[in-house]
Amino acid sequence: MSALLLNRTTRGRALAAWLVTVAFIVPIYIALVSAFKSQSQILANPLGPPVPFTWENIGNALSRPDALIQTGLLNSIVVTAATLLVLIPLAAAASFWISERTGWVKSGLIALFALGLMIPPQVVLQPIVSLLQSVGLANSYPGLILSNIGGGYMSFAVFVYVGFLRTVPRDVIDAARMDGASELRVWWTIVMPLLRPATATVGIFLGLWVWNDFLNPLFILGPLQGQTITTGIYQSLGQYSTDYGQLFGIMFLAALIPVVGYLVTQREFIHGLMSGASKG
Amino acid sequence: MSTHVQTRARHRIGLAPLALLALLLYAAFLIYPLVQSFITSLTNRNVLNATNAFIGFANFAELVHDERFLRSLGFTLVVVLFVTVVSNIFGLLFAMLLNGPARHYKIMRTLVFIPQVLSGVIVAFIWRSILTENGLLNSVLQGTGLTQQPISWLGTPALATLSICVVVSWMTIAFTTVVYTAALQSVPAELHEAARMDGAGPLNRFCNVTLPMIAPGTTISVTLTLITTLKLFDVIAVLTGGGPANSTKSVAFYLIDVAFTSNRFGYASAIAMVLLALTAVLAYGVTYLLRRREAHL
Repeated sequence: MSALLLNRTTRGRALAAWLVTVAFIVPIYIALVSAFKSQSQILANPLGPPVPFTWENIGNALSRPDALIQTGLLNSIVVTAATLLVLIPLAAAASFWISERTGWVKSGLIALFALGLMIPPQVVLQPIVSLLQSVGLANSYPGLILSNIGGGYMSFAVFVYVGFLRTVPRDVIDAARMDGASELRVWWTIVMPLLRPATATVGIFLGLWVWNDFLNPLFILGPLQGQTITTGIYQSLGQYSTDYGQLFGIMFLAALIPVVGYLVTQREFIHGLMSGASKG
Repeated sequence: MSTHVQTRARHRIGLAPLALLALLLYAAFLIYPLVQSFITSLTNRNVLNATNAFIGFANFAELVHDERFLRSLGFTLVVVLFVTVVSNIFGLLFAMLLNGPARHYKIMRTLVFIPQVLSGVIVAFIWRSILTENGLLNSVLQGTGLTQQPISWLGTPALATLSICVVVSWMTIAFTTVVYTAALQSVPAELHEAARMDGAGPLNRFCNVTLPMIAPGTTISVTLTLITTLKLFDVIAVLTGGGPANSTKSVAFYLIDVAFTSNRFGYASAIAMVLLALTAVLAYGVTYLLRRREAHL
C-alpha cells in the first residue's frame, strides 16, 4: 500500500518535472522546429512540428552571397582556438609560479588577478580600443585575440588554476625537482597533466565565453573587418526581423557547434560548475 | 663547467618569464585600461572635438543632472533586482524538482541547461521573434482569441522592461539551476533522513536542512547573476536597442552609447567609474551579507 503511494508520488513528481522542463524550453523548441518549416507554417502554427519537413532554410543560409555562416564560423573558430592555445599555458604557468610564492607576493598577485573577475568589460573597452590603435592593431584579429588573452578571461583561468593547485600534493612536484628536472620541465611534464581537470573546466568555460562574446568583437574588430558568428548574426539579421524561416535557419547553424559541444562535454561541463560551486 | 652554470641559471629563472608575460599582458589589457579609464573620467576627452583637458569631477557633477543616465541607473537596478531574485528562486525550485536519480531526470537537466550555452545574441533573436509586434506570441494569442489587438511587448517602456527582465531571467535560470543542482548534490541524504525521523515536515526540512547546506552555492549564484546582469549588453542590443524612448538602456549600454556614438570619452569614463562602483558595492555587499548568513545558518 505504502509502496503504491510512494510510486504514485514519484510518478507525480516526474510528471511535474517534465511539464516544467518542457515549458521552460519552449523557446528552444520553437527555434529548432522553425528552422525546418516554411514561413507560412511558422506563422500559422509556431508550436507545430515541422511537417512537411524542409531543408530550404538551411540551404538558403548556407548559400548566402556573403557566406555569413561559413566565414563567421571560421573566424570564431580561429579567435577561440588562438585565445585558448595561448591563454591556457600562460595562465597555468603563472598560476603554478604564483602558488610557489609566499606571503604578500602570493596574496597580492591573487588579489590582482581576482580583480578582473568583477570588472564589467565595458569599463575597460574604450581604453583597450585606444591602446590597440596606438600599437597598430585596431580592427584586427590579432588585436582581438591579444585582448582576449590579457583581459578579464585571464582572471578566471588563474582563479581556477590557483584554487586547483591547492589540492595537488606537493610530494610529486618536489620529487621531480630532486631528480634535477628544470622548472619548465616540472611544469610541463608533471604539473600540466595533474592540472588536467582544471584545464577542462577552464577550456570549456573560456571556449564558450570567447565564442559567444559580442562586445569585444563588435568594437575591437569594427563593422568592416569580417565577423565572428555572433557579431555576424547581429549585423545581418536585423533586416530579417520578419523572415522567420531565414532567421531560424541561420540561428540553427550558428548554435549547432556550442550545443553539440555542450552535449559532448556535458560531464566535464557540469563537473566544472560543481567544483566551482562547492569550493565557494 | 659552463654548461653546469647555464643549467643552474635555467633552474633559477624557471617559469618566471612565462608568469611575467602573463602578468604583463594582464596589466596591459586590464589594469592599465582600468587606470586609464579613471584618469579619463576626470577629463573632457573627445576625439572628434580634439579636446582633452583636466576638468576634475565635472563629469560626475553632470551625471547627477543627466536624465538619460538617471533613467539608465533606475532601469539597471530594476533589472538586476528582478533577475537576481527571480532566477535564484526559480533556479533553486528547478534544481529541487529535477534532482532525481532516475535517468530521465538527467535528460531534463541537460535540456534545462541548454540556454546557458547559447550566446545572448541568439537567445535575444529567438525571443525577439516571439515577442515582436507581429511575432509568434501575438499570433498564438490572436489565433486562440485571447486578444484582439497585438500586444506591443517590446514597444512600450513598461512592457519592454518586463520583457528584458523575463528574457535575462530565462537565460540565467539555466545557470542558477546548474549551480543549485551541484549544491544540492553535496547535501548528504542521511541529513534529510535524520530530520524526517525527528518528525520534521517538508517545509521544516527545507528551511533547516536544505537552505543551510546549500548556503555557499547561494552566495555564488546570487553574486554571479548580479555581476552578469550589471554588464548586460547583447540581449538589450538585439531585443530593444535601448528603446523605446531610451527606456531600456542599462548603465553598461548607455556607457557604450556615449563612448562610441557621441565619442565623449571623458564623460563615458565617468559612467564607467559609476558602473564599476555599483558592481563593487553590490557584489561585495551581497557576498558579505550572504557569507554572514552562511555563518549564522
